Amino acid sequence: MKGFARFAAALSVVACNSDNSMLPPTGSQALAVLGQGVVTDRYTAEIWVRGNVAYTTTWGSRQAPGNAVNIWDVSGNVPTLVNTVIVPNAATLGDVQTSDDGQLLIVATEYSPDGSIMIYSLADPVHPQLISRYATALTSPGVHTAEVQRVNGKLCAFLSIDPGGGSQARLVIVDLSDPAAPTQVFTAVMGNPFVHDVYVRDGILITALWNQGITIWDIGGVGSGSVANPIPLGSLVTVGGEVHNVWWYHNAVTGEKRYAFVGQEGFASIGFSSTGDIHVVDVSNFASPREVAFFHLDGAGTHNFSVDESRGILYAAYYNGGVRAIDINGDLSSCDAANRSLDGRCDLASMGREVANGLAEQQPVFVWGVQLSGGRVYASDMLNGIWKLAQVPVP
Amino acid sequence: MRTLSAENSALLYALAAALLIPVDVPAQSVQYGPADIELGGQAVGVITRESPAIHGRDLSEGYVTQPMVMATATFLSDALEVKGTLNLEGVTMKRGELNAGILGEGYIDRRHPHTYLHELVITGQRRVGDNGGSITLGKGFAPFGTDDPMARPFEKYPINHHLSQILERAVAIGALRSRRVILEAGLFNGDEPESPGDVPNRARYWDSWSGRVTLVPFPQGEFQTSYARVRSPENARGGGEDQHKQSASIRLEDAQHSGYGLLEWARTSDYVGSARTFTFTSLLAETSARYGVASGALRLERTERPDEARLTNEFKTPLPANDLSITGRSRWTIITGRLAVQVPVARTLSFEPFAEVARIRFTPTLRPSGFDPAQFYGSDRIWSFSLGATLRLGMSHMRMGRYGVARTEMRGMKMDGMKMDGMHMHSDLPKRTTR
Repeated sequence: MKGFARFAAALSVVACNSDNSMLPPTGSQALAVLGQGVVTDRYTAEIWVRGNVAYTTTWGSRQAPGNAVNIWDVSGNVPTLVNTVIVPNAATLGDVQTSDDGQLLIVATEYSPDGSIMIYSLADPVHPQLISRYATALTSPGVHTAEVQRVNGKLCAFLSIDPGGGSQARLVIVDLSDPAAPTQVFTAVMGNPFVHDVYVRDGILITALWNQGITIWDIGGVGSGSVANPIPLGSLVTVGGEVHNVWWYHNAVTGEKRYAFVGQEGFASIGFSSTGDIHVVDVSNFASPREVAFFHLDGAGTHNFSVDESRGILYAAYYNGGVRAIDINGDLSSCDAANRSLDGRCDLASMGREVANGLAEQQPVFVWGVQLSGGRVYASDMLNGIWKLAQVPVP
Repeated sequence: MRTLSAENSALLYALAAALLIPVDVPAQSVQYGPADIELGGQAVGVITRESPAIHGRDLSEGYVTQPMVMATATFLSDALEVKGTLNLEGVTMKRGELNAGILGEGYIDRRHPHTYLHELVITGQRRVGDNGGSITLGKGFAPFGTDDPMARPFEKYPINHHLSQILERAVAIGALRSRRVILEAGLFNGDEPESPGDVPNRARYWDSWSGRVTLVPFPQGEFQTSYARVRSPENARGGGEDQHKQSASIRLEDAQHSGYGLLEWARTSDYVGSARTFTFTSLLAETSARYGVASGALRLERTERPDEARLTNEFKTPLPANDLSITGRSRWTIITGRLAVQVPVARTLSFEPFAEVARIRFTPTLRPSGFDPAQFYGSDRIWSFSLGATLRLGMSHMRMGRYGVARTEMRGMKMDGMKMDGMHMHSDLPKRTTR
């Protein structure tokens, strides 16, 4: 009896919380904070900047639900809120992007009765006017991300659909040539259990398929594939899976297109802690991609990227780790034994590739997205709103 | 996951309604051919007011909750037993029942309806004196944790339901009893139901396991500790976080069922592969006492829950979630009191009006957080008031969650029966043998 009581008491010891503090390494300089636009009534989500206007979406439930797109004038150092667009019947707006010509704003909705994308005219960039809402049975229960890219002259949205309601995760490609009447051109179940995002460039589609890793598709770049008929070229399960996002890096100086940077979105408690590494995949042979390096930050996990391709700097949103700037120049598959993991990958952090960091002094932060635009780095912070930072100084 | 059609749901409802009609009710059990059959049912009508319920607003709602029809048939002198429970909450409370703090199966702060086929198991058992063994197959409770809250004194569920019980799974359970010690081990499907018409996902059969050790030092006392490994419970197709679950409890109840007490500890840890992500712990104590027709009960609970993203209906969460994150973790402290009066209508039919009051307090345990409960509810304290009545046909002192030789209650106490046409009454059979 006494033993049983001791056993029960021992089991009842409450687990300690993990330490979520993380310090930038020596040699990583702080990105200067130029200004902040404060948002505290809602949690801020994704960011998109075009010219002097930034769009930030909102997420989850705070004082108000995540159904707002905040529009900022970022011409000065301090972002100024100039308008807010409320999206009806939405609980989270996970993604936002303008079209390449700046004519359209696309917003993805989640957790609404049916997922959808909202298509707005940007004839006046700070006063978007709704053109249409695209929602079908195949966009339910939610559109996690909507990547807007032009493929062979046709403007398309690549929708990553959440699983739920008895259906599996899927990709839906929509032709936005007529934004008032978008049309579906392709759909397929993919991702285990999620498809979170895609990357589209040069007629190549790379899908982020969580525990299925990445798959590279031809949609007109190297063969007979198209947006209506993507043809798989190769795939890779990166270490740990949990693939959330991809950036295929085109080195603007050398023209090299060797590396894709893959974001791993591990477990997290929003606002408090996060996990997940950046994985570097050599995609020089689409049929046989291989992981050659990784970047790990103790105590924090990565989310979305923006790359300065002319200077070889990857800016990564790192949730509670703020913003991290990583030097991605050179041969990332080459390192000495001391900087190589047991499985043979190069450890970019131990190689000292982190060259700068942002918002380390502004804790607590929880940075969802980051974008380099006009020589400035913009970060969306779930807890605090939007930040404007200086980029990594030019030597 | 497959779902029952509307026609099948209506059929189930009609069947249940038919079984609920009391027809000449004095029997303890009935003999039907070679089978010894017991039937019972219950339904609770309740009105609940929560203040505040959400965004500073009070809500008052009414339901028919826990409508159940139960049947047990035994054959070959109890060597074989078939037990079934229909639960009709999917018909009567599809939107869920106000229950501040509770979370599970896509509902939050409203308790989810259970599946129509709550339980259907077949058990083969052999006893030699106080020793024995049994094997159970079917859909029901995994050998883990404590009794289902439906078989306990309160109408409102404790919010640790998904920490302390594993139910509505396809189960294969083996149990051994040697006098005072009971050992159980079971395999089951890890996926939780996604809707009332859901059935266990065949592709997930037997991917999870649990074991329970119970000590019965004296007839009124029961000590158990149990452990479970549950694979991807919240993502039916797999790929979600796994759970490692622990439970320990002490249960006391006197032979006359006039006094009852339960002290329970439970913990669930979420895992991604071998990495533990978050842990949720619960401590609960509840007691009840009956004096004549009146009864009173008190429950103290302190439970941690994950906070999750919400849909436009803010009492719902995405199912499955679209990643491995939680929006936060909060600790809920709930004190619940209950008073009830039992009004006998017939020998096996009872009507029990009741009142329950709960004081609820909560605080985030991870800061900063993607969910601030006080900001969301408009207060860090909630009052909950419930008035209702339970209609019970048979079933008094019934327990839910154990099968075969793992059951510790006395059979004659678990379920009174009702007469059906063509059935032979044998209420004088010696039923009060300890199992």
